[in-house]
Amino acid sequence: MAVAIFLLILVVGSVIFTFVSPWWFTDIASNWGGIDTTVLITFWVCGVVFVAVGLFMAYSTWKFRHREGARADYEPENPRLELGLTIVTAIGVVAMLAPGLLVWDDYVNPPADAQEIEVLSQQWRWSFRFPGEDGVLGTVHVKNIRSDNPFGMNPNDPAGEDDVLVAGNRVQLPVNRPYKVLLRSNDVLHDFFVPEFRAKMDAVPGMITYFWFEPTKEGDYEILCAELCGKGHYTMRGFVDIVGQEDFDAWLAAQPTWAQMKAGVTPKAYSALARRGREVAEANGCFACHSLDGSQVVGPTWQGLWGAETALADGSSITVDESYVLESVRAPAAKLVEGFAPVMIAYDAEIISDDDLAALAAFLREDTELAEASTP
Amino acid sequence: MAQAAAAGHATIFEDWGSDVTTFKGVPWGKAMMWIFLLSDTFIFSCFLISYMTVRITAAEPWPNASEVFSLTMFGAPVPLLLIAIMTFDLITSSGTMALAVNYGYRRDKKKAIRFICATAFFGAVFVGMQAFEWTKLISEGVKPWGNEWGAEQFGACFFMITGFHGMHVSAGVIYLLIVAWRLHKGVYDKTNYEIVEIVGLYWHFVDLVWVFIFAFFYLW
Amino acid sequence: MAQAEIPYQEAMPLHHPHSWVTKYWFSQDHKVIAVQYGITAMAVGLIALLASLLMRTQIGFPGAIEWITPDRYYQAVTMHGMIMVIYLLTAFLLGSFGNYLIPLMLGARDMVFPFVNMISYHVYLLSVVILLASFFVPGGPTGAGWTLYPPQAILTGTPGADWGIITMLLSLAVFIVAFTMGGLNYITTILQARTRGMTLMRMPLSVWGIFAATVLGLLAFPALFVSAVMMILDQVIGTSFFMPAIASSFEPSASEYSGGSPLLFQHLFWFFGHPEVYIVALPAFGVVSDLISVHARKNIFGYRMMVWAIVWIGVLSFVVWAHHMYVAGMHPYFGFFFATTTLIIAVPTAIKVYNWTLTLWRANIRFTVPMLFAIAFVITFVVGGLTGLFLGNVIVDVPLSDTYFVVAHFHMVMGVSPILVIFGGIYHWYPKITGRMLNDTVGKLHFWITAVGTYVIYFPMHYLGFVGVPRRYYHNEPLGESAFYPASAELLNQGISIAAFIVGAAQLLFVYNLFVSYWRGRPAGDNPWEACSLEWRTPQTPPIHGNWSDTLPTVHRWAYDYSVPGEKEDFIPQDVPHRA
Repeated sequence: MAVAIFLLILVVGSVIFTFVSPWWFTDIASNWGGIDTTVLITFWVCGVVFVAVGLFMAYSTWKFRHREGARADYEPENPRLELGLTIVTAIGVVAMLAPGLLVWDDYVNPPADAQEIEVLSQQWRWSFRFPGEDGVLGTVHVKNIRSDNPFGMNPNDPAGEDDVLVAGNRVQLPVNRPYKVLLRSNDVLHDFFVPEFRAKMDAVPGMITYFWFEPTKEGDYEILCAELCGKGHYTMRGFVDIVGQEDFDAWLAAQPTWAQMKAGVTPKAYSALARRGREVAEANGCFACHSLDGSQVVGPTWQGLWGAETALADGSSITVDESYVLESVRAPAAKLVEGFAPVMIAYDAEIISDDDLAALAAFLREDTELAEASTP
Repeated sequence: MAQAAAAGHATIFEDWGSDVTTFKGVPWGKAMMWIFLLSDTFIFSCFLISYMTVRITAAEPWPNASEVFSLTMFGAPVPLLLIAIMTFDLITSSGTMALAVNYGYRRDKKKAIRFICATAFFGAVFVGMQAFEWTKLISEGVKPWGNEWGAEQFGACFFMITGFHGMHVSAGVIYLLIVAWRLHKGVYDKTNYEIVEIVGLYWHFVDLVWVFIFAFFYLW
Repeated sequence: MAQAEIPYQEAMPLHHPHSWVTKYWFSQDHKVIAVQYGITAMAVGLIALLASLLMRTQIGFPGAIEWITPDRYYQAVTMHGMIMVIYLLTAFLLGSFGNYLIPLMLGARDMVFPFVNMISYHVYLLSVVILLASFFVPGGPTGAGWTLYPPQAILTGTPGADWGIITMLLSLAVFIVAFTMGGLNYITTILQARTRGMTLMRMPLSVWGIFAATVLGLLAFPALFVSAVMMILDQVIGTSFFMPAIASSFEPSASEYSGGSPLLFQHLFWFFGHPEVYIVALPAFGVVSDLISVHARKNIFGYRMMVWAIVWIGVLSFVVWAHHMYVAGMHPYFGFFFATTTLIIAVPTAIKVYNWTLTLWRANIRFTVPMLFAIAFVITFVVGGLTGLFLGNVIVDVPLSDTYFVVAHFHMVMGVSPILVIFGGIYHWYPKITGRMLNDTVGKLHFWITAVGTYVIYFPMHYLGFVGVPRRYYHNEPLGESAFYPASAELLNQGISIAAFIVGAAQLLFVYNLFVSYWRGRPAGDNPWEACSLEWRTPQTPPIHGNWSDTLPTVHRWAYDYSVPGEKEDFIPQDVPHRA
């Protein structure tokens, strides 16, 4: 009896939960309404089967529970019933599969007029590249990547000169225009996922993957990394802002092209020690998380860091000096800056020697001092 | 005709499904060896398919096998000479193994032991030649993590797959010698000497795998 | 009927124990080995359970325990998954149930090679020791997720990327050796060492399920073995099987890799990983069929269909693996093929579900504890199986993959379902193993908390997946106004975590029951459930080494002669002859 009631409550409760609970798909903001439709078809077919089987079991466990003197039927098999159930199941499967495959066909074949953009992923941030005026993305290679060439642009490819490079986890796209999104990864697997667009695809190092979509609703949508990519996986977020065409044009024009970026890199007058410090930072990949231009990515920016009063996660605050820099490299979690996740690995003396660390501190100091000296 | 065929199928299923044993007259050890070899086939298949995949997707050109695996004889490079000898050696060992099985079932213990030992000898020679080949390639600069001819996966696949096969051959040599010794001691005298066939199955399998490695690695 | 000669097994030489060590530690008795497998798997499973509670603490109450850093969180995620799938479920269903049931159900004296069987357990134990050692190596265990995808798994941005991953892979390779030794024994015993009259189509479905799963294991584990070897080489000596050219911010030396293929690993892993699902599911299918039939006092409905369904599921499970990779960047046209094969596999699976429920129809159901678990299995499996259709249908998988929908699905279908069967099976066969019954009241309490609790945990998770909450997030704090993690979801996660704590604690009841009943339990007698299959017909309970008296039993009928019309008893054991 208890079992029958349990099954009944379970079936009825699941149905009620489905309709009453607030958790369902977010409002769609792309052309992939077809995906929602196929989900719904699958949902209804499966839901009917679930309810039918559940209620059948509830009834059976109530009706045929053991009673004194009762005896079960003896029925080894019933080929007609089994065949019938097989056929009904097969029909249900086809009903789900056929529309699914049609939409998938659409999903993997971008329309001819889709604009290409590139999403570059790395631990743990997003960057974006637009093809620029010539409409062609310049060639790239992972071996070209350095701190002054974060996209790995091929310096000899003229098609890349006008490519628009967008770092810093935030990108804008115009509404109602199809985009073919090319995905590239510098290091490990990532996955570009915006729940409101329904679409997603892994970024795989060593190859370029793609999907396409057409944004249909203006708004700011959060990008999630949906493929485990290391301990900072959950911090790998960004935004796609879907805006009107004019806003987009204005925004894009304000972004640097590869040619401008190359021209804009003017070396500061660092001392020899500080130059070595910069090399240490490059060799150990510090710039993956700490920017020099003020953008806050995975870790705090280094712009104007030296001597600054910084709020820590535990509520206290500290002035950034040599001893704090040393401690933050050797034991990053000890004094965590407020608003940042404890994901930085500890670099012991085997990875960054004490001398190198001193050079790094010198670089940080001079970078701030030179910047202050140059601004009146 | 169709009816007869259908009846034939039914009989096969009936035989398989009948009580006690599915494969009539097959000793446990032999059945177990067959199943093991089936599983081992999947291991080698995975290795070889991985090798093919890696070779197709490699970023750099694949080194030319006949160039890398050539042996200099009398001042001229002879492609694939060593491999030809190794293959011949291993096929010969299959022949001696077959003879050992034959004499085993004739209960000619002495000859069976003699041919098992010959098989083990050819196996050991094969492993020796493989050691020579590895040494030569390593000294010429083929390393698992890189080489000067092209894609680095060449060395990685080569050492991994031939190494795994070489381990099988080495294990087989030990297995053969143990069987020969126990045969000599009379451990199997109460049986039909099917142990010789069982070790023979393993040995032929290892030889067969070599044919595939040879074809995919040296001839492709 | 004249008694046929059984050449080997009747007079099979047994290595009888001479001391405590050979009786309980290095025993060659399949029943002792089964218990060894079971205890080890359960012990290591408790560690995995603890890991899951750590995870749930962090998800439900982020920051409540500062000790749970992202590193430790991802390590808990990984170890929980790997231990549960391999070292608990696979080891328990095949190592423990397989070892115990095959010879007893088939009327054999023991496994065909008891010595190899003994070694199998000790190699398994070694793999567990290596696994546990990874908790103590520098950097801790790997935090790469149980899928261990490279390049991430061997690069510094992941916890345990050097020692942790190596011990993990090594442990897996050793486990595969242990499994192979056990598996060869199971298959050879089933094929070649049945007793008189035990045709294949008279075998209980438990044996069929274990048989099919073992075949799958022997053919699928090679792929994992090969990928483990290749990843160890990538990590230790710097080959580039799975490693393309990369520019890792955290490991500049990784730039020496070039030209490898991360997708190759995924193909190998899932060529193992999908059959692995059925390696766990098929024995559970088999065992649950027997439980339902015995306790419903009715023959299993459509036995022949059930056998063929097992066989077809086994065969098809080798051609569906890439449905785990729809959005992994493989050639998109694979999606058409793998979606089709995946949905085809739903047909035999659905037949099994129908037949379980149809067995209940016009039955005479005794709601014993094993039956309760069996019924809970069926409804849990229905949910898990149906949500599998979502994820198998390629385009529906696109918004749902890597979200909590996936987490809910695979926990329902291959986490909770097989665990429920394991519990049911233990309650069912404990009387045969020990001679005593498990306590009924504690058992029912354990059942209700577990069955209701797991449903409360996993059912709502599907809906988090619809919302778009990604899996494997240390915490979900939204950055802005985005809708992917509404405040209500936070509340839901707290509720799920509390349910998880309660269910986790309830497992202590089970452990308590196992121990106390061993000494205090009601004596069971030879056949407490009045079952037909051979394991209940041993001359002694618990069965002695060698299982049977001098002659092996002779089988005259299938294992499901319950409630045969015109008979006095409502069950006729397999070794009772037909009336002349």
